[in-house]
Amino acid sequence: MSFGGLYWSLPWLLLLLPLVLLPWWRHKQEHVVAWSRFVPVDPLSRIIGLLFKILASIAIAGLVFAFAGPYLPEKEVERIGEGAEIVLLLDRSRSMDDPFAGSVETVQVGLVTPATDKSKRRMAGRFLNEFIQRRPDDRFGFVLFSSEAFDLLPLTYSKGAILATVNASMLGKGLSDTNITKALVKAAKLFEGETYRGARIVLLVSDGGSSELDLATQERIINLYKKQSLTIYWIYLRSRKGMTLDVHAGDSPLWVDLPERHLHAFFKSSKLPYRAFEADTLEDFSKALDDINEQQYQTLVVTEIISKEDKRQSFFVLALLALFALLLSQLYTVWGVRQAHG
Amino acid sequence: MNRHFNALNRSYLRACLLGFSALFSALAIWVPPIDKEVDVMDVMFVIDITQSMNVADMRYQLEAVNRIMWSTEMVHDVVQEMDCGSHVGLAIFSQHRSLVLINPVEVCKNYDVLVQMLAHIDGPMAWELSSEVSKALFSVIKNAHKIKPIPSIVFLTDGHESPPLHETIRPKFTGTPGVVSGLLVGVGGDDLLPIPKRNKQGDVLGVWDVKDVLHQDVYVSSRFNMLGADKRVAKTEHLSSQKRAHLRALAGIVGMGYISDVQKVQTLINAIKKEATTHPQIIKYSLAPWFSFGALLLLIVAYYPAISRKKRV
Repeated sequence: MSFGGLYWSLPWLLLLLPLVLLPWWRHKQEHVVAWSRFVPVDPLSRIIGLLFKILASIAIAGLVFAFAGPYLPEKEVERIGEGAEIVLLLDRSRSMDDPFAGSVETVQVGLVTPATDKSKRRMAGRFLNEFIQRRPDDRFGFVLFSSEAFDLLPLTYSKGAILATVNASMLGKGLSDTNITKALVKAAKLFEGETYRGARIVLLVSDGGSSELDLATQERIINLYKKQSLTIYWIYLRSRKGMTLDVHAGDSPLWVDLPERHLHAFFKSSKLPYRAFEADTLEDFSKALDDINEQQYQTLVVTEIISKEDKRQSFFVLALLALFALLLSQLYTVWGVRQAHG
Repeated sequence: MNRHFNALNRSYLRACLLGFSALFSALAIWVPPIDKEVDVMDVMFVIDITQSMNVADMRYQLEAVNRIMWSTEMVHDVVQEMDCGSHVGLAIFSQHRSLVLINPVEVCKNYDVLVQMLAHIDGPMAWELSSEVSKALFSVIKNAHKIKPIPSIVFLTDGHESPPLHETIRPKFTGTPGVVSGLLVGVGGDDLLPIPKRNKQGDVLGVWDVKDVLHQDVYVSSRFNMLGADKRVAKTEHLSSQKRAHLRALAGIVGMGYISDVQKVQTLINAIKKEATTHPQIIKYSLAPWFSFGALLLLIVAYYPAISRKKRV
């Protein structure tokens, strides 16, 4: 609750504020005096008396305010940082459960344990985890996709949230097929309605392409990506040894019509900012991430949250000062009474 | 003479009260927060998003809602009430397994993220039409072991197995009951109701018909000699109610609690607190409120008019 420009954690305690009137209560300790003229007129002591009542009220008010827990709520401030806004598209299809094409280890069925599990998805997750931690200013979003796509995590600064989402994607088995087009659309939509803060990247990590690449879809993707000024990075985890995204002379005829080649050709022809990294091995994958890490340090507007600020202290200091003055005067009174009755 | 003593005593008393009040205020300012242990929980909420969960036989805040909606709203309300320092993860269940969307994250710092993610959870996220509750629960428990620290599971489901299970041939739980603690939250009423059929976009395309679904488990269907015995069973698998007995039995197998007919969030929170594994976490605890309370109390006594009146002769 807000009151007096501050927020209060226990606002109902402010109901104790009328206690400030206590010192002003008639103490009735004076004796009946037959004639008022017997009472000496002493304006100075009257002023001093008033002053101490005010001080007592201040002390009580200070403590009541401090007790009610005043604070300034957390607030957002913008600063200029370096980095990018990145939406991660991590393929959750079944094929991602296989090891890297270039890996020499063969995984025996039934012997897959977390320790020896070299599945592409788990490896990718582990390295993405590291990548995220290396980039302090970046804002991350996450799209989960297999045959369908879900914009699971909107762009967030919470490193805890993005890491927990990436780590979650390393659990369990893959879902079904790879359908990148739906995921690409969802990724672009995460930027809709966001103010432009700096470099915007869609980082796709997958081992397959898309079978639904008709012209209408292509146009839709191009428009969306242009409108949101998105750059596409595709870390392609090769599923067939020796296969490249670019067509080469002497290629196996089986590779010609692969969805990943279609997608690559589309990205290249789209005139969208695009770069593909082909990873056969874990080293390739981590090198691709290093490359992206180095390239993407542009000016970025970063929103930071300044955490809630406790404002109790100043009220305590105020109360303490008033109390100190009151205490001194009271000690003087004790001394005076002693002198009088000693 | 007595009166003189009173005057002196009174001055002394007030000086003492003021002195201690000042001392307490000073302590409130300069004593740093101390470490305090609080019990926090790590909870993984698993929401059943299979077709039977589309039956709208639940009530949330006087409104009739389907079982998925009720579950997400309930989880939302529980998350809102959880103490800072507790961790919450989210998972969905379809086919015969769970899909973890986010590993447990601290609730206060990631409240917005959790709420946004919850808002996304709905039927169309299901990747298959089948709904094998037992297997899914076992897979959740298996996955929980891979998360550090191991979270407690809160599994919201109607217990509707599709295809149905055979009375004696059931999926085996290979883990140790109770190692992963948790609670099964039964969703859905007792009446057998038609199940809305939803497509990938979430649109309702009528209801599931008696001919659309398997009424016997796959094993029996494939064995002719066992078929006869089961033939007399009424075909009700296209309808859905909460399978209380099944859920209670499942909870017993995996060593978890079971609760159903939850009306209030607090009931669910209490049930989770009872079942979930808690672990101590150190938080900074400020003593300032206690000191300020003491200082204020002393000050009130010092200026309370009755002191003077009582001593009056």
